[in-house]
Amino acid sequence: MASGHVTKRAKYKTTIKDPGTPGTLRMTLEKILFVPHNPKSAGKLDVEFRFIKGQKHTKEGSSKPPWLNLTNNQNGSFIFEFENYSDLQDCRDFVGKVLAKSGEVSEKPTVTYPDEQLSAAEMELRIKLLREDSELQKLHKQFVLSGVLTEAEFWATRKKLLDREANKKTKQRLGFKSAMISDIKPSTDGRTNKVTFNLTPEIILQIFAEKPAVHRAFLTYVPNKMSERDFWTKYFRAEYLHSTKNSVAAAAEAAEDEELAVFLKQDDILASESRSKIRRVDPTLDMDADEGDDYTHLPDHGIFRDGSKEVTESENELYRRTLSQDINRHAAVVLEGRAVDVELEDTRSVAEALARSKQESSTKGESYGDTSRERLDRVSRMTEIEDLQAPNNLPLAPLCIKDPRDYFDSQQVNALRTSGDELAGTEQIKCSLSSQEVYGSLRESISVIKAMGLKDPIVKPEVAHQVFDALTQSISTTKYNIGKNPQESVLDRLPKKIKEELLHHWTSILELLRHFWASYPITTSYLYTKVNAALVLTLLSYQKLEAGKQTEGCHVTYLSTARVVLSNYPQVPFISSLLFYLLGSSDAKASYVWMEIKGSVPSDLRHQVSLLIRPMHQALDAAIQHYEADMQKRSARSGERPNGYA
Amino acid sequence: MASAPSKLYADDVSLVVVLVDTNPFFWSASSLSFSQFLSHVLAFLNAILTLNQLNQVVVIATGYNSCNYIFDSSSDLNQSFENGRMPVMCSSLLQKLEEFLIKDEQLSKEVPEGRIKSSLLSGSLSMALCYIQRVFRSGALHPHPRILCLQGSPDGPEQYVAIMNAIFSAQRSMVPIDSCYMGAQNSAFLQQASYITGGVHHKPQHLDGLFQYLMTIFATDLHSRSFLHLPKPVGVDFRASCFCHKNTIDMGYICSVCLSIFCKHHKKCSTCGSVFGQAQSEAASTSDKKRKTPET
Amino acid sequence: MPQVKIIAKNFMDMVASLPAIKLDMLYRNQFICEAILRSMPPLAKKYVLQMLYIDVPVTAKSLEEWVLADGSSKHKVAIDRLIQLRILEVIDRKKETSYKLNPTFQTNLRKHLIYGGILPREPMPSNVTVRLPTSEELDAYAHEQWECFLLQLISSGQAEKPTNFSSSMMRIFQRGLLCQREKEAPRLTESGFQFLLMDTNAQLWYIIREYISNSEEQGVDQADLIAFLLELSFHTTGEAYNMNTLTDDQRAMIKDLSDLGLVKLQQGRKDSWFIPTKLATNLSVSLTDSSSRKQGFVVVETNFRMYAYSSSKLHCEILRLFSRVEYQLPNLIVGAITKESLYNAFENGIAAEQIITFLQQNAHPRVAEKLPSVPENVTDQIRLWETDLNRVEMTPAHFYDDFPSRDVFEAASDLARVHCGLLWEDAKKMRMVVKAEIHMLMREQLRGQNK
Repeated sequence: MASGHVTKRAKYKTTIKDPGTPGTLRMTLEKILFVPHNPKSAGKLDVEFRFIKGQKHTKEGSSKPPWLNLTNNQNGSFIFEFENYSDLQDCRDFVGKVLAKSGEVSEKPTVTYPDEQLSAAEMELRIKLLREDSELQKLHKQFVLSGVLTEAEFWATRKKLLDREANKKTKQRLGFKSAMISDIKPSTDGRTNKVTFNLTPEIILQIFAEKPAVHRAFLTYVPNKMSERDFWTKYFRAEYLHSTKNSVAAAAEAAEDEELAVFLKQDDILASESRSKIRRVDPTLDMDADEGDDYTHLPDHGIFRDGSKEVTESENELYRRTLSQDINRHAAVVLEGRAVDVELEDTRSVAEALARSKQESSTKGESYGDTSRERLDRVSRMTEIEDLQAPNNLPLAPLCIKDPRDYFDSQQVNALRTSGDELAGTEQIKCSLSSQEVYGSLRESISVIKAMGLKDPIVKPEVAHQVFDALTQSISTTKYNIGKNPQESVLDRLPKKIKEELLHHWTSILELLRHFWASYPITTSYLYTKVNAALVLTLLSYQKLEAGKQTEGCHVTYLSTARVVLSNYPQVPFISSLLFYLLGSSDAKASYVWMEIKGSVPSDLRHQVSLLIRPMHQALDAAIQHYEADMQKRSARSGERPNGYA
Repeated sequence: MASAPSKLYADDVSLVVVLVDTNPFFWSASSLSFSQFLSHVLAFLNAILTLNQLNQVVVIATGYNSCNYIFDSSSDLNQSFENGRMPVMCSSLLQKLEEFLIKDEQLSKEVPEGRIKSSLLSGSLSMALCYIQRVFRSGALHPHPRILCLQGSPDGPEQYVAIMNAIFSAQRSMVPIDSCYMGAQNSAFLQQASYITGGVHHKPQHLDGLFQYLMTIFATDLHSRSFLHLPKPVGVDFRASCFCHKNTIDMGYICSVCLSIFCKHHKKCSTCGSVFGQAQSEAASTSDKKRKTPET
Repeated sequence: MPQVKIIAKNFMDMVASLPAIKLDMLYRNQFICEAILRSMPPLAKKYVLQMLYIDVPVTAKSLEEWVLADGSSKHKVAIDRLIQLRILEVIDRKKETSYKLNPTFQTNLRKHLIYGGILPREPMPSNVTVRLPTSEELDAYAHEQWECFLLQLISSGQAEKPTNFSSSMMRIFQRGLLCQREKEAPRLTESGFQFLLMDTNAQLWYIIREYISNSEEQGVDQADLIAFLLELSFHTTGEAYNMNTLTDDQRAMIKDLSDLGLVKLQQGRKDSWFIPTKLATNLSVSLTDSSSRKQGFVVVETNFRMYAYSSSKLHCEILRLFSRVEYQLPNLIVGAITKESLYNAFENGIAAEQIITFLQQNAHPRVAEKLPSVPENVTDQIRLWETDLNRVEMTPAHFYDDFPSRDVFEAASDLARVHCGLLWEDAKKMRMVVKAEIHMLMREQLRGQNK
């Protein structure tokens, strides 16, 4: 959209007959803001766009003034009177666009609930997650879009998912090319003595990065002392001299022209940098900054630039650069990466940006300072020899029992406790004999067996056969029931549709219960309404599962609970919509779902399916029980204000 | 091609640690007499030792007041008891068992009335696991270990925590716990033990055919188990005992820090000392005013 | 890859091949029943146990009910082995197969479980025997004896103290392992090399097998020998048993066994006795595989160098088979695996896999913990060098051309194709190459057509 907002002068009218409050109407993508000119008047308005459902306006040429009527989703309306029709036109178009946009978004897997400020990237991430995981999308649709959970609540339990997704993306920045600048060959036309170098901002940046001296020279000379063109001409002249290996000529030229000499001399910045680098080197070991960096003064060991012979002339040594130095420097710059994120347009800005980033890193380097102590620390840290240390990657965090006596003493006490009265019912072995007698009989049997030896035969063949047959029988029946594969569960044998249905119920009930329990203890009225919302939804799912086999009475109980909840909180819109769902004809629909599951399950599996469903019921029952107990406590305590949190 | 040598013997070499229930109160009421039971078990042990020369059997008596090792095939094979009436191992086992019972009886004097007559399964399970750990650490090669519980006494809910700890440590060291329950009701502990560790749980229908059950189901070595169906219980009783009153419960409170189980709401976890959220009602009224309510 | 075919590792194959009457005789002995039970695959053992007290036939179907899908091959192997050993009797009735345990075997095993086994001879009381060797000494003795025997077996000159085996006996053992051409030193054959690379138990059984089959030629009953050997394996290691309890045949045999290191013979003032060693008691240990793994001694490095911590001459000889031994210290052999040394080995018929398996099985405990115990580059290179030799495959074949007509040519090529013998054909020039196996067939066909 071209512009994100529209501001117009208008009058705000609550009804058509209202004369209206003059003020300024400002519409952004998210909200409509009306500020009256007279700050004391009451017509201030701040409405979010998502509540706006549609718009009506008067037509040009009709007898009516230019009015715009925005209807909200609670059937209220906001009427604005504009000064002229063109203003109305603008606003109308804007509203139209915004409404169209929100409409189209809600068709996609939506996450555009503007109640929290989300960056576009985050939004993108969520949409992506929803798209990839249909299960998640289903849940999202069921709960967030129906308004049971807010966007934030839904995602709060899935932070990990988001983080993981976000971590996947790492920004990759474009680095330097690995080609060396010395590879840029001049083009000659062959006839004249003219040599042409082609420069691009890319190359310039690289030159600056690799040769700090050139960089410094550029900053000092251009544009005060010479033009940029002259500067580069000088630079390439120096380069050219290098490439011709003519160190005598180089020396001669340097003597004449002190600016040129700058390019020909050893790069003192580089030298000092490498010296400081050596000082910073980890005294124990650091392979990438060894003494080699200090070898800038030594002639290279028979490696020649461009493969040609080099004549050593010690007096002109100053004006020679070695290939290995160039390569090392180039490699370092490439590895360092591109620190500058400017559009490569202007040489000057490139140079300055580079200077800035240098500064930053050097200040960082200084903060690193206080080197001597650091080094000592490091030495002592590093001289710990790892081989001699015990492996410290314990796979488990040991359970921390704060006071072991607490734990063990309580266990001890429990072990000694006579739990007789509680468990009297389950006690099977009535001790009719004294312990002396029973021990005696045991010892007797031992002496019997000592005297007689093992019983022969140990088992009667008939019994053995009977046992074997029974076991074989049970094996073959379980094989039939459970399926060929012992790993295969009942679920795998259900028709696919029912299996999915069941799993979906499971996940949605779990999601709801998670939010339900997470809301306890209830400390704010916000949580209070949320619990109610979750509960009603829970009830609904419960209904879905139960309706088929519930007796009428039970059914009614749960419905009436739902009614109580709803009568307490009529102001929560989605509850009222659920009310219709519950009490209306959809009741029949819910039971239909359950009947369908039941009906299409093969008869031999029905029992197992109800076994699968039972834990669901239990979990829901527990939630409902907890809720009811809590309600009772609440109503008992605050009988005087039944709508305590209204 | 042979892969790199592992520390386990090939195939079917097994170490079976058998926990024998010697609770006198159970045996005095059982339909299977103790001497019959012993002959079934002794023949079974002998069969295990016969199967492979390297097989090893350890027997631990699970008594009413104590438990102890009563046989270890790796050390107890002395010839002196040989009398031709029964396998060599049996006589030494019986001797030790008798001594054990006498000691166990001496300990029993001060036990209060009314306690469930359960045997000390937690103790013998721990001893079995200790033995197996020692074998694991002892040397180059060791057999595949497994534990077999021959249990008849009812579960003692007060042993819940100790037994579960033993079960989990067995699970971690990959030692399956087989269980054969000869009592009247089924044992939730043993069902869980076998389920969690991947062992077999079975409750024989005909107790006089116990030997056949032992041979058909529990003599199967771990190697062969990957090729065979073994009887599976229809369902597993997963109920836990609470830490506070040792009641068996199906629903309760769990400490979110250390996962201890309680049957009632507590202010503080007795195991790890974490303080739980205050009771919801009081907190609601006090902090409601202070906290800013996020409005939807 | 050449198959290891010569040596049936399993002694029980030999038992299984005995005639029915002899097997039944064997099963009269409790110890043999036990030894045979131990030698069976795990599943077979389980089947025997669960049928031990069942007198009526058990249907094959009810056994199969227990088997998981991926265990069916194991099940089949187990049942086959049981039938082969005549432990299971097959009863076919009404189209339904049932099995029943061999009654002799069943009764004996039941007896064994209830009453335990009683050896035909008791160990001698310690006051009669002088000083019995400790178990370490006994192990060392057995080991030394066995190595000595092996050395003598592969190169008669090397052994420090020759065993008492007659040279004819020795020749029988060497049969198949060594081959001797005129005026040449005997050379190890392919199977000889394979023999050396096997583990001790398998080697022992090979020798015992040769021994038994040889003694039969001399009129000693094979079943008796087997019975005695298995019985011996249930004696207690380190105890002394009186020689008087043995029959004459057995006494002759025990001398030979002492040469192999199975027993140690001692002479007291009046009596003489034998002491079984670990080698003897291991005879009945599940013969399936490496339950009795020795400690390894070889370290192979990624640079193809090999360090063997061993003072054994035999080890040195074995290593020399496929590597270049560079120097020998009192307890260390240093060598290198080179292309030449391996080519030597390959020429002698040793397969790369065998060498690798040997190196892996005998890896020094320090490296055995690592995976892989032999560096991958070495194993790969050994395999590569082997495949280098196999680039050209030789197939004996016949070349046919000058066919009288295209019909004859096509008929002939069809025939060759049907028998999977056609290696190459050129339809235009009517020529083909056919494997030598079906040359006779081809010839007949062509003759028939020519008429």
